[in-house]
This record gives sequence, structure tokens and C-alpha cells, in this order.
Amino acid sequence: MNAGERLTDANFPAHPEKATLEGKNKFLGFWLFLGGETVLFATLFGTYLGLRNMHLDGPSGEELFSLPLVFLATMLLLTSSLTSVYAVLSLKQNKVRSLQGWFLVTLLLGLGFLGLEIYEFIHYVHEGHTFTSSAFGSAFYTLVGFHGAHVLFGILWITTLLARNWNRGITLSNAPKYYLFALYWHFVDVVWVFIFTVVYLMGKVG
Amino acid sequence: MANHTQNPETTVHRHEEIQRKLALKEERKHHNVSFVMMILLTIVAFFAIWSDKISDSFAVLFILTLAVVQVFFQLYVWMHLSHKGHDFPIWGMASGILVAAITVASLMGLIWTS
Repeated sequence: MNAGERLTDANFPAHPEKATLEGKNKFLGFWLFLGGETVLFATLFGTYLGLRNMHLDGPSGEELFSLPLVFLATMLLLTSSLTSVYAVLSLKQNKVRSLQGWFLVTLLLGLGFLGLEIYEFIHYVHEGHTFTSSAFGSAFYTLVGFHGAHVLFGILWITTLLARNWNRGITLSNAPKYYLFALYWHFVDVVWVFIFTVVYLMGKVG
Repeated sequence: MANHTQNPETTVHRHEEIQRKLALKEERKHHNVSFVMMILLTIVAFFAIWSDKISDSFAVLFILTLAVVQVFFQLYVWMHLSHKGHDFPIWGMASGILVAAITVASLMGLIWTS
């Protein structure tokens, strides 16, 4: 069977994302990538934890952070993680319209999160907390900004993936792509759980 | 009435399909439970800090533990690490997490001692 052929309910495999060798390779390769990303974020977390109290004359985290705003952002991202797993459930049932719907909701929630983060950063810059204001500033923007860049990348990824495959149904070629995007999105949420805890909550207790 | 008698092959196929539907239903339930748990863990962590009633050092340990629990929900339920055929990903992530822990500890140590 051609990998680009639209799957029907009759020939739908149990694991469309791993039904071809290419899909299997993508699956393994992507998990290795996520293991590497974990280490990459660890370097940023380690640096931030070491430098978080060195704010010089600028405001400290305790003075800056607004927990309700961050809490709202956390809820948006957490819900978007759920909607992306719903999309994967639709994928397993060959329901392409429902898959597209759930990924669109994921996309909107991701945009909402990014909007809140941009608003937050602009607010901090006005408070005198910039990338160059102190070691705390540099470490903060590197860590949180790098996560934000991951969200932005995810938004671009799912937008192009949906647009390119809009009328193609679910195929053996695009099933691994949808599946891996969902993995990526969950991973971005995993990192955020630690940013919420380590940067914001721990920032409030000094 | 002839069309009521099913050949064995379609019966097996139907049986498999019902099994699969049930498994997916179960999976959806796990995803929902996991979502509610993660929301609750986030709220608990938030209030542990917001209420200011718990001593700082205990609160830090407490919220870090909650974060680790949440990550396990994400990895095992939402990212399907609990499913069959995930030995390689588990090893990949476990080694990533191990190196990550060493990295965080050594970077913090390096900055503190300098």
C-alpha cells in the first residue's frame, strides 16, 4: 500500500503511527530527541537556580511575579495538552475531522499562552527587569524565553501540518507526524510544569 | 435468512473491533483522570505558596514533589509510556532525566562555590 493513500476503516492498522519503518524510526528518533531536550532544559534550569537571587538593583522575582497570571497560563497549556491527546485518540479511530478540530483547539490555547507570556515580558521590561539588567534577568529570559520559543515552534509546526494535510485524511505517512507533534506538545507542557514550580512558585518563597 | 449467518472470519473481526473500542474508551477515561489530577496538583502547589501558611523550605520540597508526580502523569498517561513497545523511549527518557539531574546539581554547585 502507498503510504500517502487515505486509510479506510477496513484497512486501518492498530498503530498507524508505527505501521511503517519510517514511522517506527521517527517514533524512536523523536523520543531520543526529547531525552536530549530534557538535558538542554536542565542546563538552563541549573543556571537559573544558581543565579536567581542575583538581581542587582533590579526587581527580584518575588516583587515581579504575578501568580494569578502565571496560573492562568498554566491552565491554558495544561488544557491544550489534554486536547492534543484527544486528537491522538481521534487519530487511532481514523476520525480526521475530529483530529483537526482538537488540534485547532490546541493551537488556539497555545496562542493564548504565548499572548500571556508576551504581555508578561513587556510588563517586566517596564518594571526594569530586562535581559541585561542582571544575572537573574539573563537566566530568567533565557529559560522562560526558550520555552516560549518552543511553544511558538509548536504553533508553527501544527499550523503547517494541518494546512498541508487538510484534505488528505489519515495516511500512513501523516499519522506519525500528527502523533509526534502531540508528544512534542506534551513535552513542552512538562517543561512548563517545572518552570511554574521552580521559577514562579519558588520565586515567591525566595 | 441466509444473510444472518456470519462467517467465522467476520465474527473474529467484529470481536477485535469491539475489543479495540473498549480499550480506547478506557484510554480516554485515563486521560480525563490524569487531566483532573494534574489540575488538582497545580492548584495544591499554587495554594501551598499563595496561602503562605507552610514554612518556605517545606513548601519548596512539597511543590517539587508535586511537579515530579505531574510529570509522571504526562509521560506515562498522555505520552503513552505505559503502553506496549515503549522500552526504548523509557530508556531514552530515563537517561535524559539522569543526566539532567546531574547537570542541574553541578551547575548550581559551580555557581555557588564561585
